[in-house]
Amino acid sequence: MTTATTTPRKSQAEILLRFVGWEFWRNFRMLDATFFVLVLPAAMYLMFGVAMDQGEMPAGLGNVSAYVMTSMAVYGAVIATTAMSGSAAVERSMGWGRQLNMTGLADAYYILGKMLMALLMAVSPVLIVYLVGAFTGAQFDSFFHWISSAALCVAVGIPFSLYGLAFALLFRSETAVSAASGFLVIFGFFGNLFIPLGGVMLDIARFTPLYGPAMLARWPQTEGILIPMQAGAEVQFESMWVLLANIGGWTAIFAMMCVLGARRRTTR
Amino acid sequence: MNISAPPPAIAIDAVTKRFGDLTAVKNVSLTIHQGEVVALLGPNGAGKTTLLDMVLGFSEPNRGAIRVFDRAPKRAASEGDIGAVLQDGGLLDDLTVGETIKMIAACHHRHLPIHEVMQRADVTGFATRKVKKCSGGQKQRLRFALALLTNPHLLILDEPTAGLDATARKDFWATMHAEAKRGRTIVFATHYLREADDYADRVVLMRQGQVIADGSVDDMTADLQRTLTAQWISDVDPVAWAVSVGVSRDQITYDHQLQRLQITTPDTDRIAGHLLSAGLIRQLTIVQPGVEEAFFTMTQDSQEVTP
Repeated sequence: MTTATTTPRKSQAEILLRFVGWEFWRNFRMLDATFFVLVLPAAMYLMFGVAMDQGEMPAGLGNVSAYVMTSMAVYGAVIATTAMSGSAAVERSMGWGRQLNMTGLADAYYILGKMLMALLMAVSPVLIVYLVGAFTGAQFDSFFHWISSAALCVAVGIPFSLYGLAFALLFRSETAVSAASGFLVIFGFFGNLFIPLGGVMLDIARFTPLYGPAMLARWPQTEGILIPMQAGAEVQFESMWVLLANIGGWTAIFAMMCVLGARRRTTR
Repeated sequence: MNISAPPPAIAIDAVTKRFGDLTAVKNVSLTIHQGEVVALLGPNGAGKTTLLDMVLGFSEPNRGAIRVFDRAPKRAASEGDIGAVLQDGGLLDDLTVGETIKMIAACHHRHLPIHEVMQRADVTGFATRKVKKCSGGQKQRLRFALALLTNPHLLILDEPTAGLDATARKDFWATMHAEAKRGRTIVFATHYLREADDYADRVVLMRQGQVIADGSVDDMTADLQRTLTAQWISDVDPVAWAVSVGVSRDQITYDHQLQRLQITTPDTDRIAGHLLSAGLIRQLTIVQPGVEEAFFTMTQDSQEVTP
């Protein structure tokens, strides 16, 4: 046996950091995904929140720009968690997990690494949109509202990792995960994310998966006010428990889809 | 360190693995010593992959135990003692060949210099190509490079040439041959008997989750039927003569017009010796069944074997 020289031994922590570094580089380089997660939310904020004239009009404890800014940050965060969890599951089903199993990266560290990645990917669009917002006239009444809104944007994105995972488990392909991200645009529209809804549309919206997350993230600013379609229209309020029921209900549905997908996989 | 004898590369002790009602591996015991090149041969569904998965620490046996270099398989794998070329998949399409090697290297505790691994697996020529655009043979070279990264003492290859064309297959085995010469223990699963015969010192034949033969291909084919054909040139009755040397009547056919005698038995050498020394025949031929046929016979259920 030849005794070949190997590199010095790495610790588990160093392996984890290097793994996350590679994962970040990989995901950053996948331009289409990066575009949707990092660029699109900020661009839409500029279109809907700044380019329109009402940006400086007050809305709750801030202005309309801030309201749109939070909406777009939510959109970016849910796309990020959907894409990250979905692609992680697809990678594993394609045997990449087995390849990694043969390395010094222990299972628990792999999961930790992927969670760090998902968090990093969810925080990035929120950070970018809020940064762009801060320089283009978005305003909250206090600094605390910046922090609490941004944190809520990331938090409401977390259940959507189950949504991405469900698609990956049910259809086992990267295309299915892209489709899941695509559906988020429709959910975003119905979830009162892009344009203020009213009437029947709003009644439908309450049952769609992005309605609760978006309203909750905007809660520090709106405290439940539904911004009407036309200025001067009657102001409606939404109660917190409707939002929590919406989030809880959809999280349960996503979890059930995951269980179904996982079961289908083992019975094959 | 070398006070006692080196531990076996793989020690499998009475291992059983079940998936629901299906018993994929039934009470298999097998010891593979360091430096051996062993082929795990058997048809699809014989339990080869299930057994190798347990050796690699991907799954646990329901009963029995497996040790790799006297360590738990999972531990041996994470420490880089085992290098594996996994069956298809196991790669990311968005990375290049070089990046894949670097990323997996980043996840190992220690590894060989990247350029050395690339050279040995012969991937330097297409290191900047995306995995998505690689041919089957190139992907297999890449998987091989990943397996070599930690300079492992044990290489496990699960159907390494499945789906490769003849040239790629030949190239792959040439590279493997060089690794065997370095003294690595190599275990490969295959359903090509030819490959097992050409590249392994020892063949372990599996069927329906059990080891049914273990040895060299020559040993395994020794008991198989061969057919002796010759032209009978004596006045003695050929059938009576054959019976007198211990051949049963149903193993003999004699064509009176052509004076052609045919005897089918595992024991053709002894009979040929008698025939020649007594000067009873000429134009002797002995035909051994092809290795593929032999393998086919061995992996059939006994009741299906034609007499």
